[in-house]
Amino acid sequence: MTAKELLQITSRIGSMLIEYGAEIYRVEDSINRIAAAYGFSGGNNHIEVFAIPTSLIITVNEGDDAPITQTRRIINRGTNLDRVDKLNNLSRFICTEKPEADVIKKHLDEISKRKVYGYPVQIISYAIVGSTFALFFGGGIPDAVAAGIISILVLLVSKMVNKVKPSVFFQSVVCSIAASSIAVIISRIGLTDGFDKVIIGVSMNLVPGITLTNCMRDFIAGDFLAGMYTLIEALLVAVGMAVGAASAIALFTAI
Amino acid sequence: MYIENVLQQLILPCLYSLIASIAFGVQFNIKLRHMIMAGIGGTLTQFIFLAFELSGTAEMLCYFFSAAAVSMYSEIMARRLHVPVNMYLVVGIIPLVPGGYIYNTMITLIGGDVESFSHQFAETVGIAGSIAMGVFAVSALVRLTRIIMKKAI
Repeated sequence: MTAKELLQITSRIGSMLIEYGAEIYRVEDSINRIAAAYGFSGGNNHIEVFAIPTSLIITVNEGDDAPITQTRRIINRGTNLDRVDKLNNLSRFICTEKPEADVIKKHLDEISKRKVYGYPVQIISYAIVGSTFALFFGGGIPDAVAAGIISILVLLVSKMVNKVKPSVFFQSVVCSIAASSIAVIISRIGLTDGFDKVIIGVSMNLVPGITLTNCMRDFIAGDFLAGMYTLIEALLVAVGMAVGAASAIALFTAI
Repeated sequence: MYIENVLQQLILPCLYSLIASIAFGVQFNIKLRHMIMAGIGGTLTQFIFLAFELSGTAEMLCYFFSAAAVSMYSEIMARRLHVPVNMYLVVGIIPLVPGGYIYNTMITLIGGDVESFSHQFAETVGIAGSIAMGVFAVSALVRLTRIIMKKAI
């Protein structure tokens, strides 16, 4: 494998890992291991990786040639742990088998086309999460039903908001306002006893789970820059949820 | 009467967290097999939390031990099945998210009652900290044992 091919493949794997929600230390680790499998592990041939949640920089040095570098800016980050798992298996396969670049590219194309859950499944899962957490935090059956329906609405709202590519803060404020105002209105009509359990249940759908766990795991691995970034992102989402719910409650209980 | 208490305080919350954490796996695009295994992890977490809570342990310690338990479970499962650790950790930790405390913090803030707000806020931050510490402790232990095992071989 030439230095150029190695650079293309590692930068693609790295950016895919970051986009699908892998921890940052895993990204750097995978790239270093892949490079070592092809003999780029020290001496004249070596690779340097720098990854943060928003960009990826890889430099490959081969012999006395001028080093080559690629930078990737990562803008859209989602969560797809199934693809992270498959990329992980792929990099383990690369390290043991050392296949040609074309084979790896074919595998990467396959991974990026793997199925995600469709709309109906997502709707069902949001409804189940909302209603079971309403029960979990001590609500009754009416609370659970209301939370399930509002969760579906929250999913629709977040899909709509996503189209304008908002910041995480804005998105969580909008979703939270929508959820809380409907919950308060339903309880004012008299369909549920109170709105607190409903709001808690629905809000569990918006908890930034992957951001929090990645934050903890990056801190443990000693990658403090990435850890700080994800920590601030998680805090912003949480504050956004609180601001949204607080303003909706203050508004609709005052009327 | 006794059976009803057990049902109310132990079995129902575990059942809810099983269903909720399996459903949560869809948001992370986890495949069905792993989703169910991760859901069992979430139930285990909740069970350990409730077991400590009912035996009268301080609240922060309950969160610490159950976070450590879920972390241990996901490290073991990840090694066994060759998947990333956070696939199991992210789902298993969901039932521990202190939704009620966060909500109460916000409500007392709107109410303008500074004293109870600062009380609630400190409690929420403490719980979040103890969950993080639980995960930290186990992960650090696992990393240490891996380094020692490598040196021994």
